[in-house]
Amino acid sequence: MPGGIDLHPLIIGVLGLPSWLDFQPFIYTGLALGGVYALSGVGMVVLYRATGVLFLAFGAVGAMGALIAWQLINAAGLNQWLAYLICILFGGVVTLGYGIVFGRALAAREPLVKAVATLGLALILLGLMDLLWTSSGGESRSITLPTDNSGFIISQIQVTWTQVIGLACGVVMTIVTGAFLRFTKLGTAMRALANDREITATLGVPVRRVEAAAWFGCGILAGFAGVLLADLVALDATTLTFLVISSLAAALIGRLRSIVVTFVAAIVIGLVDAMITPIQSITNYRDMTPFVLAAVALLVVNRQRANSLSREGI
Amino acid sequence: MSTFRVASRARLSLALTGAIGVTVLAGFALSGTSSSAATTRGARAADATSYCGTKPGVAATGTPINLGTIDTKQAGTDFSDISSMAAAYFACVNANGGINGHPIKYDVQYDQTQPAQIAAAAKALIQTDKVVGIVGVTDILECTIDQAYWKSLGIFEIDSGIAPECWSTPNSAAVNMGPRYSSDGAVQYALEQHATKIVFDQSNVPGTGYIAAGPAAIAGAAHVPITQLTENVPVTDASSVALKEVDDAGPNGAVILNFTPPDALVILQAAQKLGIVNRVKLWGCSTPCNTDFLAKSLGPAWNHKLFVNAELTDPDGATGAEFALYRGILTKYGSAVSGGIGSFSQMGFVEAKFAVKALETIKGAYTIKSVNAAFEGIKNYKSAMLCSPWTYGNLALHIPNNVDYTTTTDNGIMVVAQGCHKISSADPQIAKYRTVAAAHGL
Repeated sequence: MPGGIDLHPLIIGVLGLPSWLDFQPFIYTGLALGGVYALSGVGMVVLYRATGVLFLAFGAVGAMGALIAWQLINAAGLNQWLAYLICILFGGVVTLGYGIVFGRALAAREPLVKAVATLGLALILLGLMDLLWTSSGGESRSITLPTDNSGFIISQIQVTWTQVIGLACGVVMTIVTGAFLRFTKLGTAMRALANDREITATLGVPVRRVEAAAWFGCGILAGFAGVLLADLVALDATTLTFLVISSLAAALIGRLRSIVVTFVAAIVIGLVDAMITPIQSITNYRDMTPFVLAAVALLVVNRQRANSLSREGI
Repeated sequence: MSTFRVASRARLSLALTGAIGVTVLAGFALSGTSSSAATTRGARAADATSYCGTKPGVAATGTPINLGTIDTKQAGTDFSDISSMAAAYFACVNANGGINGHPIKYDVQYDQTQPAQIAAAAKALIQTDKVVGIVGVTDILECTIDQAYWKSLGIFEIDSGIAPECWSTPNSAAVNMGPRYSSDGAVQYALEQHATKIVFDQSNVPGTGYIAAGPAAIAGAAHVPITQLTENVPVTDASSVALKEVDDAGPNGAVILNFTPPDALVILQAAQKLGIVNRVKLWGCSTPCNTDFLAKSLGPAWNHKLFVNAELTDPDGATGAEFALYRGILTKYGSAVSGGIGSFSQMGFVEAKFAVKALETIKGAYTIKSVNAAFEGIKNYKSAMLCSPWTYGNLALHIPNNVDYTTTTDNGIMVVAQGCHKISSADPQIAKYRTVAAAHGL
């Protein structure tokens, strides 16, 4: 504005904010992380819609798959792509196994019981990982995907193809899953299951087969996210197991129904988390990002619903 | 439900369980093949174990001398390798004459960072297990919680310190330097390489203020600006952390990390993936990074770019009788030492070695009084794993390990970048210790 005062430097100085230029690289790291959160969040939403189970073992399944892949690559010298495939299949098989063994017994139970039951699986896997891949000798493990070795430069930082894949997978998975649920017979059956399991069964839908497909699909996504997160975050059992919190927050913001909202929420969580990092005064509080965003979103949604109900005179 | 469907579901469940089990076990079974070459070396090394006692091949059968320890062992933080190595050393001593014919009985208590549990463990060791000495403690809170108790009993513990009280109190002496003084060493090395700014980043855990004071004093004495950062652990967004560190340090600055190996690794790897490794003058790290696990994971891209302060001699390629004994004990008695060769097992080895040597000086009964007088009386004990002789002494504080190495990454292993080097007295705690020690003629 000619003759006006540019307030931007003043705001930056007073609040201790880095310049926009300094912020830019954090956008790219946040987008990549948000993409993988979205991948996990979408998997959780799909399973919830089909079975009513909030799968809290999503992170632990992926973590164990990634550690098995690491073991196969480093100790057995297995081709790394084959190892990653085994990791993904491991996710599918374990989750499907859990669904077959416990799915029917849990079907009639309350959502809280179903969720806590999956927490049991998470803790068993976490204990197994701690036993099999100890850290008492200061061991540090990592998975480096071949796509880490190349990429392109933006804002003076290298963006690796793994980061691009992380974001792309989130986008693709959201679109594909949305189309799958909307246009395929199996997807329609899953949506019907979400509405009423008993009525769906009486209509002749093979309920258990549909549920098994949802469990297996969720597990495959867990394994896939496990490999990506092991590369993008860390190959550490505890870290990966509890990283599910960010995805869970995104799924909650999507109210465990909307995969599009879940995707957007996951991207926002990843972005906010990364962009808070260079702000010295609040950087150590950035782990609160998923909780704060989920709490705010749920409060807003509940308020809107309350207003809507009061307008309808209910 | 028909019998067929039940049986079919049971078979499917069994098949799934089997498939998972086979996948996991296959990896572990296959891992055994790569270690076969080490077996022959291990067999040769095991011969050296006959020298760990005064009577080779003669098992000790006298009344046992009870020693004890308290270690943190919980998911994500497990220091049990140190006491496991001390136990291996004692087993070797017991199989080769013991302490004047007396075997050492070693009682290990684990805790999960709960103060009440740690206090109870100390009382259990003394009152139930009747231990007469504390050796090999590696615990996040033990020094803080038990110091008053040890002082009241006249116990002088030999430990691998973590909490500040392990170095700042009269009844604890550590064989390691711990995070503060090791970070001092890393900052000191960076300053010697003419870094014009230091960014010191560490885990956001209790005690960070105490640790940060050391590097701040060292950098301050050199009139070099220092930025102190802390990160919540485990680090979940390493790329952002690495970016922030590099931005703060600038092209002639140094980034110094004080994290456990897994967290340090993800930050360093993130820097590599972002292509920002060379945007600072150098990267440094405190002792935990001095592991081949980390060097191997980083690979040749980090050759001579990461400089790690090392409290103990790098065991890779190290020769001599003490390293032969260390490897031999590890092979023959150290099956519980999951990390194998490395700084954790070295610490356990050195602590046990010094304790055994002190016990051998005792004439008469092995009581709390006689054993702890021997421990306190340790003066100028040498180890090929330490830069300088180690002394306990009746002092208000103990930082007996204050001379160390700097190592660097080289094709998947850590190699020495700088030989033994004194930690600067610009850190007021180091200065205070040296003054007190000198006043006692040590």
